[in-house]
Amino acid sequence: MPRTSTVESPGCPPLRALTTDSLGLIKVVEVRGKGGGTPQVVETWGPPDASRSVLATSYADRKKDPVLAVARKNGLIEFLNPLKGDVLTTIKASESGSTDQSASANDLLVGLHFFKSKQEDSSSMLGTLLTCTEKGKVCIRSVGRSDAPSDQSIDSPNEWSVTNGGHVLCSSLDPSENYALFGGKHVELNLWDLNSSKKIWAAKPPRPNNLGISIPTWFTASTFLCKDDHRKIVAGTNQHQVRLYDITSQRRAVISIDFRESPIKAVREDTDGHTFYVGTAIGDLASFDMRTGKMVGCYKGKCCGSIRSIAKHPDLPLIASCGLDSYLRIWDTNKRQLLSAVFLKQHLTSVVIDSHFTAQELEGTKPEEPTSQSEVRDQSDQEGNCDEERSRKSKKKRKDAAGKKEKKMKMHDEEQISGIEDPAEKDWIDELPISKRKNHSKKRGEKQLD
Amino acid sequence: MAKEKKRKAAEEAVDGDDYIEREDKKPKKQKLILASQIKNKEKRSAVYAKLKHEKRVEKRKKIKARDAASKQALELGEEPPEKMVPRTIENTRELDETVCRPDDEELFAGNDADEFSAVLKQQTAPKVLITTCRFNSSRGPAFIKELLSVIPNAQYYKRGTYELKKIVEYAKNKEFTSIIVVHTNRREPDALLLIGLPDGPTAHFRLSNLVLRKDIKNHGNPTSHEPELVLNNFTTRLGHRVGRMIQSLFPQVPNFRGRRVVTFHNQRDFIFFRHHRYVFEVKEKKEGLKDKKSKASQGKTEKKAIARLQECGPRFTLKLVSLQHGTFDTKGGEFEWVHKADMDTSRRRFFI
Repeated sequence: MPRTSTVESPGCPPLRALTTDSLGLIKVVEVRGKGGGTPQVVETWGPPDASRSVLATSYADRKKDPVLAVARKNGLIEFLNPLKGDVLTTIKASESGSTDQSASANDLLVGLHFFKSKQEDSSSMLGTLLTCTEKGKVCIRSVGRSDAPSDQSIDSPNEWSVTNGGHVLCSSLDPSENYALFGGKHVELNLWDLNSSKKIWAAKPPRPNNLGISIPTWFTASTFLCKDDHRKIVAGTNQHQVRLYDITSQRRAVISIDFRESPIKAVREDTDGHTFYVGTAIGDLASFDMRTGKMVGCYKGKCCGSIRSIAKHPDLPLIASCGLDSYLRIWDTNKRQLLSAVFLKQHLTSVVIDSHFTAQELEGTKPEEPTSQSEVRDQSDQEGNCDEERSRKSKKKRKDAAGKKEKKMKMHDEEQISGIEDPAEKDWIDELPISKRKNHSKKRGEKQLD
Repeated sequence: MAKEKKRKAAEEAVDGDDYIEREDKKPKKQKLILASQIKNKEKRSAVYAKLKHEKRVEKRKKIKARDAASKQALELGEEPPEKMVPRTIENTRELDETVCRPDDEELFAGNDADEFSAVLKQQTAPKVLITTCRFNSSRGPAFIKELLSVIPNAQYYKRGTYELKKIVEYAKNKEFTSIIVVHTNRREPDALLLIGLPDGPTAHFRLSNLVLRKDIKNHGNPTSHEPELVLNNFTTRLGHRVGRMIQSLFPQVPNFRGRRVVTFHNQRDFIFFRHHRYVFEVKEKKEGLKDKKSKASQGKTEKKAIARLQECGPRFTLKLVSLQHGTFDTKGGEFEWVHKADMDTSRRRFFI
């Protein structure tokens, strides 16, 4: 079916995204201005150095004390403050406890997950971290701040091995942070309970077809489908298949969809719990609905390089995709249209969206804002003030279709700002000047004659 | 009917002037008959010939006027009127944000870090393996023979029935730096696959317009000196990468005494390959014939150094189809750039 509705003005709502690339640079792309702005690269952090190429990232998208964890090729894991870009602390990927140093030198990090909710003591500890290497060594350890006194007792890291042979290529942490998922080349999907460090479920390969040929296991991307449910898993394989697994029902895939002809490189779930987005190695981006098991539609936008990572904005109907063609593209999920593309010059490895970004912060005191915010954050006794500041600004930013709100789960920030009343929900489209939103959304009958 | 229309026009028109203009325009309206609408061939050709003649006369007048104006301006010592530049597709190319800038630090850092930097910094010498696809072709062997003479330090291996992935492994063991696969379709060389090693990118080009050395008139025979390399117009980031890939096939120390040059010229996403030998000559320019138009004083013989080219070697055109990130793996590999049909929506957008 040809496209019947288009987004009139393909500009982006205010958003902020951070991208990492193969030269180790972290670029901050911001869209300012309420009515359809174009994204621009605001800052670039880090010297361009291929040995510092970023392998995996994890973003703790919190209002207070957000942290961006970045795993680099030279074996270091850096924790950065995503607002200013300063390095909070750096640790080595390979623990001193590991016996064989030479083996771990070739073992690159594949997955990195920073626990968002577990934060006991904010003054000395930065948080807990789950790392997974290509050979299957998984380690959970707590990370202390660099300025913490060295005689603080840090819990001993929890290590175990996920697989004997094969390479782990993808890992995912469920939103409640009790379960972790690993899969890869010749590594079937494993689900581990993190509290007890036990494997609670492993997938089974599909039955060989009528010729007796069975496809070798090769999972390249995986994610949990629902935010509150660790039982449904979506995984993409190298054989251009997307599979849905349900832990409670069976070990084999419940639904298996074939999508075009390239390996699936990135999978990202939507906040509504049944849609997910798939990116392939040739640049095709599509969204699927798992209730029916069918593709909802493709995203056409001249994306000609492999899609390495997809990020979904928690509130707005937006996704950002980045890949080897060096472009960061922002798409509208309702209309499946490209809103804008930014050329970022290097092979991009991952993108994260900062959801606590508002256009209000920029007016007037732009250079002062980040510093004052970080000062506030460092002082733990002013947490209450910080909450109120953020809440005042995010009040105006809260925009989503009314229908979606019923299905959505409560966000972290909503939990924190329980006391403040919510003004009428506004669609970001309403903030566009009237001339630009002529033909947008709703019904075609309401089209104004000009 | 006409009166009603006039009244309506009078009502609608805001300005009284508009109404008057409309009336004035009516008698001036003439029906223009296009020459192509006359059905009678004799009459049609006569009308068209007349039209052409008129146009030619007009054009000559314009040129004469232009020349007279510029001559007059020169005589008076003023600046001549601006020369008109024709509008071409290259002139009106869409603004591309991926064009490399000379002040881009990231570009240089990326160059240092990419797969060709070892060869381009002369840390390793390029060693090229040439092979074909599994099918026979009529002009393929001749083309490969000529390629072997163009690219120094290239070796040809018969394809046999080896899988390309195995060939890549074999070449890695033997320390080759690139593989060229000449692919054949319908018994004609049709595509070129350039694989960088050890894990360099794979470029798939479509080959067209192949002219072998024996089919070129007055061709020259290339020597074995290292050629100079000319890479024209690889402006965008993708073009820069492809340019570096081509550069890594050739040794980086050209032998200027050999007077041999290989050119890869990019225009509108087509890469033209030419191979020449050149010679510098001192030519004496005699006055006399062009006396009336030249400004130079008479009686002098001007000496000019001119380079004369003699084409040798094959002549072909390449067009990039896809650039893949690793070595050859079409099913399981990641692509950095793939040509997709919905990229071709504008006639003025090019990618390389």
